[in-house]
Amino acid sequence: MEIFAALSTVLTDPILLGWVFLAAIVGMVVGAIPGLTASAAIAMLLPLTFYMEPLPALAFLYVIGKSGRYGGSIAAILFNTPGTAASAATQIDGYPLARRGMASKAMKVATVSSVIGDFIGEILLIVGVAWIASIALRLGPPELFAVYFAAFVVIGSVIGKSITRGLASAALGVLVNMIGLDPISSTERFTFGSFDLSNGISLVPLMIGVFVLGEVFAQIEERGKPSEMMETDVSDVGRNRLTWAEYRPCMPHVIRSSFIGAFIGMLPGLGSAIAAFVAYGEGKRRAQNPEAWGKGALEGIAAPEAANNAVSGPSMAPLLTLGIPGSTIGAILIGVFLIHGIQIGPTLFLTNGELVYALFACGLIGIVMYGIIGFYGAAFVGRFITRIPTQVLYPVIFLTAFVAAYTSRGNLFDIYIMIAAGFLGWGMRKLEFNPAAFVISFVLAGGAEETFRQSLLLSDNGIAIFVTRPVALLFLLLGLAALFVRARSLNRQARAAALQEA
Amino acid sequence: MSHTRPPAPLAVGAALILLGIGATAASFNIALDQYGRWGARVFPLAGSLSLLILGVIELRSGQAARPERKDSSSLPAIVALLCLSVAYVWVMGRVGYLISTGIAAPLALWIFGIRNIWGLVVAAILCPLIYHLVFFVALGVFPPYGDWFDLLDVLQVN
Repeated sequence: MEIFAALSTVLTDPILLGWVFLAAIVGMVVGAIPGLTASAAIAMLLPLTFYMEPLPALAFLYVIGKSGRYGGSIAAILFNTPGTAASAATQIDGYPLARRGMASKAMKVATVSSVIGDFIGEILLIVGVAWIASIALRLGPPELFAVYFAAFVVIGSVIGKSITRGLASAALGVLVNMIGLDPISSTERFTFGSFDLSNGISLVPLMIGVFVLGEVFAQIEERGKPSEMMETDVSDVGRNRLTWAEYRPCMPHVIRSSFIGAFIGMLPGLGSAIAAFVAYGEGKRRAQNPEAWGKGALEGIAAPEAANNAVSGPSMAPLLTLGIPGSTIGAILIGVFLIHGIQIGPTLFLTNGELVYALFACGLIGIVMYGIIGFYGAAFVGRFITRIPTQVLYPVIFLTAFVAAYTSRGNLFDIYIMIAAGFLGWGMRKLEFNPAAFVISFVLAGGAEETFRQSLLLSDNGIAIFVTRPVALLFLLLGLAALFVRARSLNRQARAAALQEA
Repeated sequence: MSHTRPPAPLAVGAALILLGIGATAASFNIALDQYGRWGARVFPLAGSLSLLILGVIELRSGQAARPERKDSSSLPAIVALLCLSVAYVWVMGRVGYLISTGIAAPLALWIFGIRNIWGLVVAAILCPLIYHLVFFVALGVFPPYGDWFDLLDVLQVN
C-alpha cells in the first residue's frame, strides 16, 4: 500500500514530475540515436545528479533507463538500425512494416507493448521486492558470497559469444576494483607507489569511459556511413491507425513476453537484449501465423518490445535487496545511492522505504509519460534524430565526457582513468569481450570480497563453510550449472556452424 | 543469433596470459596482515589466476582457428582521438579548462570529419564557454586551474 502514498506524493510535486518528464524525453531521444544507449546517457549525466536531491536524481536516471529501452525501437523501425541491442529483435518485423508505409503503426504497437511490459515488470517489482528483501535479510555472509559468485559466473558466461572472454572481462573488473588500499588492513594493492592509485579507481569515470568514451571511439569507425530513414507518412492516417482489432492478437504475446522479460530481468547481468530474443523466439514458436513473422507481423514487434521493457523494473530487485546490480543501469544507480549516503541492500526498505516506493512511483509515472509522448510523437523523434549530425554529436559527447568525469571528484586523474577505460571499453567491444560484465564485476567485487572474508572469520573449517551451508551451496551450484549449460549451448552452435561450413 | 568465432584468439590468449602473470606477481607483492594471513591477497590472486587460466584456454582454442583479416582503416583516427584525449587532459593541467577545451573542441570535430573553418572557430569559442557556464558556474564545481597560466585569472571570473 506504500506505493499509493508514494504516488500521491510524487503526483503533487511538480518539480519532480518535471524531472520525470524530462527524463522520458531524454531517454527516448538517446535510445533512438543508433549507437548511443541509455547507459551512456545515464553515465554521462550521473555527475550532474550529485547536485540534486536523492529522489529527483534517482528518478531522473531510472526513467531515462526505461524510456531509453523503448526509444531503441524507434531507430529499429525507422532506420533498420537498433538504437539499443535490446531493439534488434524489434527490427526484424518493424522495418519490413515501415517499408510498407506503416512505420507509425509499427511504432504505436511498439509503444503500447513497451508500456504494458514495463507496467507488468514494475508492478511485479513493487509487489515482490519487499518480500525478496525480507528473505535477503536472513542471508549471512557465506550465502551472500555464494550469490556474488553466481552473479560473477552468470554475468561473465551468459552474455556474449565467448565464455572465456566474458569471464575474463569479469576477472578484469575484479582486478581493477582491487586497486587501492585494502578496506580492512589498509594494505596497498596494485598501486605501484602511485598516490593517485592508492585512492582506488572511482566508479563514475570508469563508467563514463567504458560506456561513453568507448562508444565515441567506436563511432569513429561508423563515420560517413549513411543511415536511411523510412518515411512516416502522417497523411496516410488510415494505414497507420492502430485499432483494437489489430492489436488484440498481440495481447497474449505481450503478456507472455512481459513475464519472460520480468523473469530474465531478475537474473543479474542478462538484460533486455536476451529477454527480447527469447520472447521473440517463444512468440514465433507459439504464433498462429509463424510464416508472417519476420515479414512485418505486429505480434513480432509486440513480443520483443514487451519483454525488453519488462526487464527494467525487476532488474532493480537484486540491486535494491542485495546490493547486486542486475544491469549496467543498476550499476550506475549504485553511484547515485552511494553519493547520497544511502546504503543499498536488504535494510534499504527499513531505512529508506519511502524513497524506494517514491522511486517506483516515479517509474510508473515515467512509463505513462514516455507512452503518451511515444504514441503521438515517435515519428517526430525519428525525424529530429535524422537532423542531428553525428559528426557534431559525438565530438560534443566526447567533450562532455571529460567534464563529467572531472566533475565527479574534481580530480584530473579521474579523467586519465576515464580515457584508459574508454580505450579499454572500445577494445573490449572490438575483441568481443564484455564491457557490461567488466563494469558490473567491478561494482560487485568490493561486496564479494567483504562477504568472503567475513565468512572465513565465521568459519572453523576455512572455505568449507561455503559447501556446508545449504543456501550457499545451492547458489554456488547454480552458478556452475549456468556455466555448464552455456558451454554446452555454445559447443552445439559451433558444431552446427562447422557442419554448415562443411 | 549466429555463431561466429571471436577475433584474434591467439593474440588475446597471449595478452591474457601476460596480464595474468603480471597481476599474479603483483598480487604476491601485497603485504600480509599483522598475523601473517593472506586476507588482502586472496581476491587479487584469484582474479589474476583466473585471467591466466582463461588466457591458456583462449590460446588453446585459438590454435585451431584460421587468422582473419580485420578492417583497420579507422585505426589512425582512433589513435588520433586517443592522443587528443591524453593531450587534452595534460594541457588542461597546464593552462586550465578554457584554453584546453578551446583547442580540443575543433580538433575533435576535425577528427570526426568537420572541415568548415568557421564552424571550427565557433566551436573553439562556444564549447569552453558553454561547459564553463554549465559546470563551473551553474553547478558550482571548482574548475581545473592551469599550473602555468589560466585564462580565468585574466578574466577574473569563476
